[in-house]
Amino acid sequence: MKKLVYTVFIAFWAAIGTLVLINALAPDSAEQVRRDAPASAEPAEYSLSEVAKHATLEDCWMVIEGVVYDVSDYVPRHPAPPAVLEPWCGREATEGMRTKGDSSDHSARAWRMLERYRIGDLRLAERRRGNAR
Amino acid sequence: MGIILIWTVVLLASAVTLVAVVGAGPAGGAEILDAMGRATGIVGLVMLLLAAALSARVPGFDRWFGGLTRLWKTHHRLGAGSLVLLLAHPVLLALSSSSEGLDAAVALLFPPFDAWQIWSGWLALLLMMVFLAPSFAFFGHPDYRRWKVLHRLAGPAVILALVHAWQYGRTWPADADKWLWLMLASLAVGAVAWRFVFSRRIGRLRYRVAQVVAVANNLVELVLEPAGRRRLRYDAGQFVYMAPFDRSLSAGYGEEHPYTLSSSPDEDGLRIAIKDLGDASRALQSIQPGSRVTIEGPYGRFFPDRAAEKQLWIAGGIGITPFLGRARWLHGRQRRCDVRLVYCVQDEARARFLDELHAIAEEIDDFKVIPHFFYRQGPLDSGFLDSCVPDLAEREAFICGPPGLNSLARRLLIGAGTGRKNIHIEEFELL
Repeated sequence: MKKLVYTVFIAFWAAIGTLVLINALAPDSAEQVRRDAPASAEPAEYSLSEVAKHATLEDCWMVIEGVVYDVSDYVPRHPAPPAVLEPWCGREATEGMRTKGDSSDHSARAWRMLERYRIGDLRLAERRRGNAR
Repeated sequence: MGIILIWTVVLLASAVTLVAVVGAGPAGGAEILDAMGRATGIVGLVMLLLAAALSARVPGFDRWFGGLTRLWKTHHRLGAGSLVLLLAHPVLLALSSSSEGLDAAVALLFPPFDAWQIWSGWLALLLMMVFLAPSFAFFGHPDYRRWKVLHRLAGPAVILALVHAWQYGRTWPADADKWLWLMLASLAVGAVAWRFVFSRRIGRLRYRVAQVVAVANNLVELVLEPAGRRRLRYDAGQFVYMAPFDRSLSAGYGEEHPYTLSSSPDEDGLRIAIKDLGDASRALQSIQPGSRVTIEGPYGRFFPDRAAEKQLWIAGGIGITPFLGRARWLHGRQRRCDVRLVYCVQDEARARFLDELHAIAEEIDDFKVIPHFFYRQGPLDSGFLDSCVPDLAEREAFICGPPGLNSLARRLLIGAGTGRKNIHIEEFELL
């Protein structure tokens, strides 16, 4: 048993060390994504009323900090049950993302995952109005 | 029975966790790794809390586990399982999130400093590595004192692990996991409170060293008399934790160690035979008569309540002590018995207490002492046992000696047809 535990102990540090080292040596993947994105494509702009058309769990758009996301594909994989997400579909959902309903923010990892579902920005005028409020 | 209960709890917790993570329908490698990461976290913590709950060492409670030695073994196995699972837990979660890029994996392991939920888990795991390092001899054979001091870090580790788990309860249905943590945590806290608060006040009995009998140059027998109102009640062959309070000791002042009682429960005082096996037991060879000791116990159930009348005892070296206590008790009561004691030692000079045992054998019927000398007869073998104890397989067997002899004797007895259930082994090397 001692050998097994010791082996796992060493394997643990080997795994952690490898992850950290490879990450330090690899190019920043976030930058990579930005570079890979076609520069010419203008981000699409949507209004709140357009977003509001996608207010079901099967077709769920959200506006979070001025950016529009289509999270329909992610809903089934979200840790909290879908019923928790449903009220935020088709509307401004920054509060839900920032507070999780109990004033604790989503993790950095969750925020990074969210970026994958970005489809465009909220129309400039509405963004300004939101800021003014 | 207690051991079965403990592992049933572990299995049940694993089953519920498995159903919960499989029920969520993980699809693809990353999600399966995530499910495994969560499951290892939950089951690992369940095992850690159960190990903590078993650390109480309440006298009498260990009977449910077939004695304190077996209880410690279960505690040790739970600790090992828990460390293995909890080491795998962050690695699996990190590997799972590496599907979103390596930086995601590293960010999960090393989040910003304000993510205290994750850092509390990290701290708990690091503490576990520190306090379990001596238990699993990560860095060579551990020093008893250092091991005991480091093992106290288990307290903060358990609390930090609970803080961490409380924040992430989303695997079990509803709030079931919170109930699980509350239940197991109160068991663990109760156990630790008993050990460090109540047992010190009510569990430890006060005794005084009345006499120090030098049996050999590396073996003394302490005769203890009660110094408080309460006396220890015990069965012959049980053991206690003794802490000496003699300032002149070169080591081990106030440090508790387990020792077998060599006295009969019918005697007024206690007798404990102590062989020089380490710093603390070496120092005890010169303990001053009149000094105080505390006794906590009794522990162990080497001899079950309902043992067969025909018995075979196999002792190796200082492993004679529980048998000595038992023989003195039989002698005092003039009990009818049918016992063969095979006493294995290196040579005649090391056959401690042999004269007294022979004298007892003269006085009670059907109690026979059969010495076995290694230097002359080699290792114990079936030929020797068969010739001295012809009805070997009919006897309930009790073995106490160094690990090598214990396993050899066990093999020989099984080979001779003794049922596994009728072989009882007492190990005095605790882990």
